[in-house]
Amino acid sequence: MTDATAGPFPHGLDDARDAVLAGTAIIAAHDLRKQYGDTVAVDGISFSVTQGEVFGMLGPNGAGKTTTVEMLEGMREPDSGSAVVAGIDVVKDPMAVKRIIGVQLQSNAFFDRLKLTELLNLFARIYGTKASPTQLLERVDLAEKGGSLFKTLSGGQKQRFSIAAALVNDPVVMFLDEPSTGLDPQARRNMWDLVRGLKADGKTVVLTTHYMEEAEELCDRVAVVDQGRIVALDSPGALIDQLLETGFRNERPTREATLEDVFINMTGRALRDE
Amino acid sequence: MAGMRISLSLTVASLKMYFRNRQAIFFALFVPMLVMVIFGLLNFDQFSNAEIGIVDHAKNESSGAVISSLIARNDGLATVEVGSEAFEMARLEDGEIDALFILPDGFGEPGGPVTVSAITDERSPQRAALAMTLMGQVLGILERGTLQSGNPGTGTGAAGGVADPAPHFGTLIQTTLDGDDRSYTAFLVPGIVALSIMQLGIFGVVFALVQLRQQGVLRRLKAAPINPAHFLFAQITTRLAVSVLQTLVLLLVGLVLFDVAVGNNDLASWMLVIVLAILGGALFVTMGLAISGVARTEEVAAPVTNLVSMPMMFLSGVFFPLDALPGVVTSVTQFLPLTYLADAIRAVVTDGAGVTDIGTELAGLAAWAVIVFAAAARFFRWE
Repeated sequence: MTDATAGPFPHGLDDARDAVLAGTAIIAAHDLRKQYGDTVAVDGISFSVTQGEVFGMLGPNGAGKTTTVEMLEGMREPDSGSAVVAGIDVVKDPMAVKRIIGVQLQSNAFFDRLKLTELLNLFARIYGTKASPTQLLERVDLAEKGGSLFKTLSGGQKQRFSIAAALVNDPVVMFLDEPSTGLDPQARRNMWDLVRGLKADGKTVVLTTHYMEEAEELCDRVAVVDQGRIVALDSPGALIDQLLETGFRNERPTREATLEDVFINMTGRALRDE
Repeated sequence: MAGMRISLSLTVASLKMYFRNRQAIFFALFVPMLVMVIFGLLNFDQFSNAEIGIVDHAKNESSGAVISSLIARNDGLATVEVGSEAFEMARLEDGEIDALFILPDGFGEPGGPVTVSAITDERSPQRAALAMTLMGQVLGILERGTLQSGNPGTGTGAAGGVADPAPHFGTLIQTTLDGDDRSYTAFLVPGIVALSIMQLGIFGVVFALVQLRQQGVLRRLKAAPINPAHFLFAQITTRLAVSVLQTLVLLLVGLVLFDVAVGNNDLASWMLVIVLAILGGALFVTMGLAISGVARTEEVAAPVTNLVSMPMMFLSGVFFPLDALPGVVTSVTQFLPLTYLADAIRAVVTDGAGVTDIGTELAGLAAWAVIVFAAAARFFRWE
C-alpha cells in the first residue's frame, strides 16, 4: 500500500493497476460510474484487458455495456472512477485516447454522399495518418467498392467498411460495438474472420455482443454485465465449467451440429451482399 | 495547423456532398429563382386596394365634386384621403399611397385650370393603374354631367346666370415617381436574395445536422479525435460558399430578367452584396446550429424552424415594404435580423449604397450575430 497513490492512477487500480504495471494490461478500468438522471447506467465497473486479447462484454440491452465502452473510448466522461488505455488517462486526455484507438459504433453511420475512398481519406486526414484506402478496403473485402457512395452499401458492407474506417490510424485497441448485429450467417462468419485477423495482427479487441456463440467463438475472456455491474468475468470455457459445477444440465439433448451449421452447409460461406 | 487541414478536408468533403445532393441544389438555387420570377411577373401588390391621396388646392365646388365622386365611386377598391401637398408627397415617397392627385387652385372654375396632375408609384403599378382608372372615370362622368346640364360647375353654388363656358374636368396628366429604381421588381429582387440567404442558412443546416445526428454520423465524428469547432467551421464554410453562389445567380437573374442593376453594376456594389451574403449567411447558419441543438428530431425541427423563419419571411420587408404593416408591428419587426439584411442588400442594389450608408444594418446584424453565436454555443450537441 505504500505506493498506492503514486503514478498515473490516483485511485489505486488494484489488480488492473498491477497488470498495467506488469506490462500485460493495455486497458484498466477502475470503479467506473455513470448516471443519467435517476438511472444508474454503470454502477462501479472495474476490469483490465490484456494486450492482444479479444475481450467480450456481454449483457442484456440497457445493462451498461455501451456506456462502459464509450467511457473507455473517451466519448463519455465518467461521473467517477478512472480508466487508462495504453498508458493514457481517458478522463484527463480523451483526445489522446481517441487518436490511438479504433472505434466501430452500432449505428455504422458515415456521410452518405461520400465515396468509400473519400471517406477513408477524410478519416486519414482527421487522424493525421497516411493510410492507403485501397489496402484498407481490400482487408474488409470491399476493394471493388472504393468508388461507390457509402449510402449504396448493404448492411453487411457498411459494417465491414466501419471496420476499415476504424483501422485508418493502425490502432492499438479496437472497440467493436455489436459488429455482427443484423448480419446473415455468411456475413457474420466473415466478420468473425475479420476479428480473428485483427487479433492475429496483435491488436487488442474489445467487443460487445448479444450472440453467445460469437463470444464463445472469438473471445479469450468475457465480462457479463447486468444492471451496471460486472457479474462474471472469465474465459467462456471457465464460465461454462463453473455453471456445470453447480449441477446445471441443459434440458435439450446436445447434438454434434446446429441449425446454423445446416444453413451454412447448404448455402455456403461465400458473402452474399453484391 | 492540423486543425486547419482537418477543417479544410471536412469543408471539401461537405461541398462534395452538397453538390451530389441534387434536391438541395434545386431548393437552394431554383426555388428562390422561381419565387422571384413568379412574384416579379405577378406583381404581388395587385391583390390589395389602391391607396389614393388627394391634395385639394382649389377647395371649391368642382374639387369637392371630384373628391366626393371618387369616394362614392370606388366600390371599396380604393381608400381616398385628402391632405396637404407636403404630407401626401411624403406618403407617396414612403409607399403608403399608390397615387397622388393634385387639384390645382381654381380647378374647374371659369377660365381656371382643368388639369389634374397624377403622380403614381411605380412600385405598385397595378394599384396605381386602378387609381388612375377610377379618377379617369370620375372626371369623365363629371364632364358629361356639365355638358348635359349646360350649367357651369357641378352644384348650386356656381355663379348663377353668368354665361361662362362650361368647366372641363377632362384632363389628367400622369407622372410616375422616379425611375427604374422604384419598380416592384427592384424592391423584390434584393428581398428574395436576403430571404434565400436566411432559408439556406437555417433550413439547410437544421435538417442536415438533425439528419446526421439521427443517423449517428455525429457520434462517429465524436469518436474521432476531432474538435467540434473543425466540424462546425466546415459546415459554416460550405453553406457560405453556396450562399454566395446563390446570391450571384439570383442577382444575375434579376439583372437579365427584370433589369435590376446592382448599384450601378459597379464592382464595389457587387462585392458589398457578396460580403453581406457572407455575413448574413454566417448569422443564419449559426442560428440553424442553435436550432438544431434545440430540435433533436426531424419532427420537431420542422415546426421550430418554421416558427423562426416564417415571421421573418413575411414581416421583414421581403415581398412588400414594411410601411404596409401596422406601426405596432413594424416597431418590432424593424429589429429582425432578416429586416437588417434585406434593408442592407436593398440599399446596395437599388441605391448603390456603400459600407458607411448601411452602418445601422451592419450594427444590427453584428448584434444578432453575438446573440445567435451564444445560443449556438449553449445549445449545440453532437447527440
